Amino acid sequence: MNAQVSRPAVIWAIIRKDLLEFSRERFFVVITAIGILFYGAAFWLLPSSVDESFTVGIRQTGMDDIFAAAMGGQSAGLAFVQFESVAALEAALGMGGAEPDEPLGIGLAFPDDFLQRVAAGQPSTVRVYVDANVPTELQRAMASFVREIAYALSGNPLPVADPGREVIVLGEDRVGDQVPFREKIRPLFAVLALVIETFALSSLVAAEIQARTVTAVLVSPSRVSDFLAAKGILGTGMAFAQAVLLLLIIGSFANQPLILLCALLLGAVLVTGFGLIAGSAGKDFIETLFYGMAFMIPLMIPAIAVLFPGTSATWVRVLPSYGLVQTVVQASAYNAGWPDVLPHLGTLLAWCLAAFAVGWFVLKRKVETL
Amino acid sequence: MSEEAIRVEGVSYAYGDVKAVDNVSFAVAQGEVLGFLGPNGAGKSTTIKLLTGQMRPQSGEIAILGMDVAKERDKIQGRIGVCFEEKNLYLNLSARENLNFFARLFGIADFDPMPLLRRVGLADRAGDRVKGFSKGMQQRLMVARCLMNTPDILFLDEPTDGLDPVSSQAIRRVIEEESARGAAILLTTHDMDEADKLSDRVAFINDGKIAVLDTPENLKLAHGQRTVRVRIREHGEVREQVVPLDAADTGDQLKAVVGAEGLLTIHTEEATLEAVFISLTGRGLQA
Ligand SMILES: Nc1ncnc2c1ncn2[C@@H]1O[C@H](COP(=O)(O)OP(=O)(O)OP(=O)(O)O)[C@@H](O)[C@H]1O
Ligand SMILES: [Mg+2]
Repeated sequence: MNAQVSRPAVIWAIIRKDLLEFSRERFFVVITAIGILFYGAAFWLLPSSVDESFTVGIRQTGMDDIFAAAMGGQSAGLAFVQFESVAALEAALGMGGAEPDEPLGIGLAFPDDFLQRVAAGQPSTVRVYVDANVPTELQRAMASFVREIAYALSGNPLPVADPGREVIVLGEDRVGDQVPFREKIRPLFAVLALVIETFALSSLVAAEIQARTVTAVLVSPSRVSDFLAAKGILGTGMAFAQAVLLLLIIGSFANQPLILLCALLLGAVLVTGFGLIAGSAGKDFIETLFYGMAFMIPLMIPAIAVLFPGTSATWVRVLPSYGLVQTVVQASAYNAGWPDVLPHLGTLLAWCLAAFAVGWFVLKRKVETL
Repeated sequence: MSEEAIRVEGVSYAYGDVKAVDNVSFAVAQGEVLGFLGPNGAGKSTTIKLLTGQMRPQSGEIAILGMDVAKERDKIQGRIGVCFEEKNLYLNLSARENLNFFARLFGIADFDPMPLLRRVGLADRAGDRVKGFSKGMQQRLMVARCLMNTPDILFLDEPTDGLDPVSSQAIRRVIEEESARGAAILLTTHDMDEADKLSDRVAFINDGKIAVLDTPENLKLAHGQRTVRVRIREHGEVREQVVPLDAADTGDQLKAVVGAEGLLTIHTEEATLEAVFISLTGRGLQA
């Protein structure tokens, strides 16, 4: 027998076989469905707007009375705390080395000569510190608050047109485009859904290694590359479909749908690649679980990092999923265009290729020792 | 096409420090059945993995059907059938689905699994999931699978291991049929009788080396002893005496025992491959 085999036919045969097996693994089907429902539900339960209360730290001298008066009528949602020095205020804002337990959202530092200068009708500069999380409206409120103080101080309506203020934004400057919490968490859900797939995807290969069926497949005219291509296509398809379904459920395709789809597709390839490495590297369930976790956790970090204000640390920026998270955040929350996200998509693609290359190598080695 | 189905020259493979296959050379002719005998860990399965392209030898050369395994793996793998030591079937698929899947990998057009399943006595279970198959049924399906591409060479790694006599017999019959068809067969087994009956030649492998390779007849003639085993009751106790059949005084010894009082039984014993193996390697087959 010398039948000619075509690569696509072999790859398609493996995919078909996997789909047939998958449809009989009730466990995976159920887990997948539950996962999507869970994410969807959790997302809708999250707050859709920012209604947190902020603590305002204030540093001033000689204006206690004025502040007592000014603060008396303050609305809920704002609490004021006095600080002795600018350094203490900055430390409480989390600008020093150590992170305070509960960093302040806003800080106002009045210069020592504020009183005299305002009284003399001279411009003065008040430093306003704002966390990147603080909504724009609140920032404006702070500016009016400074004005109100000046008014109370001089007894005249606006002795200075606008006391100069210098706004120092803590963390990544997103002033003017503050987004609600749910908007921010959107990419986290898509990425989490994808990353969690890593483990399920690893089973595509791990199951065949544990049952040794992979040797039977490879000791036929099919090659390691066919096997990986089939698993890669199926895995990517499954992960991508899940992520898209999830984003449809939570309604996240308002901005830049094409960029989002492209990012999710590459993200699906990425987690599939890592899943295949994990599945190829482990020799039993526990080992595969170990490798799966070892990949899942770092892949999740960039998604979690965007929840915190500020620029991500360098080590977060080099994680494989950083490009994915950035693309999704910028496109969905800030409506970024292709030129903005292309560098991120590029690094993501490079990571995908690397993951598959490593997977190919690891699987080849593994099969030899079975 | 070359005369030889398999040619192995100076092949070695070590797992770390363990020399599983140590400078082995042999050849198998087209249509020949070579029995591969040796205790556990002798290196039989490793040799098969090297010959079938699962692993690359660390040194030496292997030609299968005249082609270099390192260079023409896919082509070779399309023309051989391998029955693995471990039963690597898809348990969630039916017998028929298992065969259909592999037929696609081999690029066999219009494949019909039923004749093969009939051959191994599984036709009535074609649609059942392999998960529910007994060990013997799974093994028969393994054998059916390695026949689907009508291979020029069959590699069978302990195909009858742990099976009941009926399943073993079914598999032996298939081996004979395949041999009659003209396939070369490399068969590993721990069953000396099976090796004796099925093989044209046998190789004794021990510690990764081929101790000897010849026809069962020659091996038994050269290394075995035909004997007569006699049991005699003497002074109320049963005594056993073994008389070699090709000793100088065989006739006298036999006369003496046959005439003895209290003679219970006389058995002639042929030389067995097992005895040959023990005398050659100093160890038994079951490690
Ligand atoms: N994957 C592996 N990793 C490390 N050592 C191995 C591996 N497979 C086999 N060995 C070692 O290589 C040697 C030969 O093993 P092999 O499986 O070829 O023996 P075998 O003759 O088939 O034995 P059996 O009759 O038990 O099937 C043994 O010492 C074994 O321990
Ligand atoms: Mg073995």
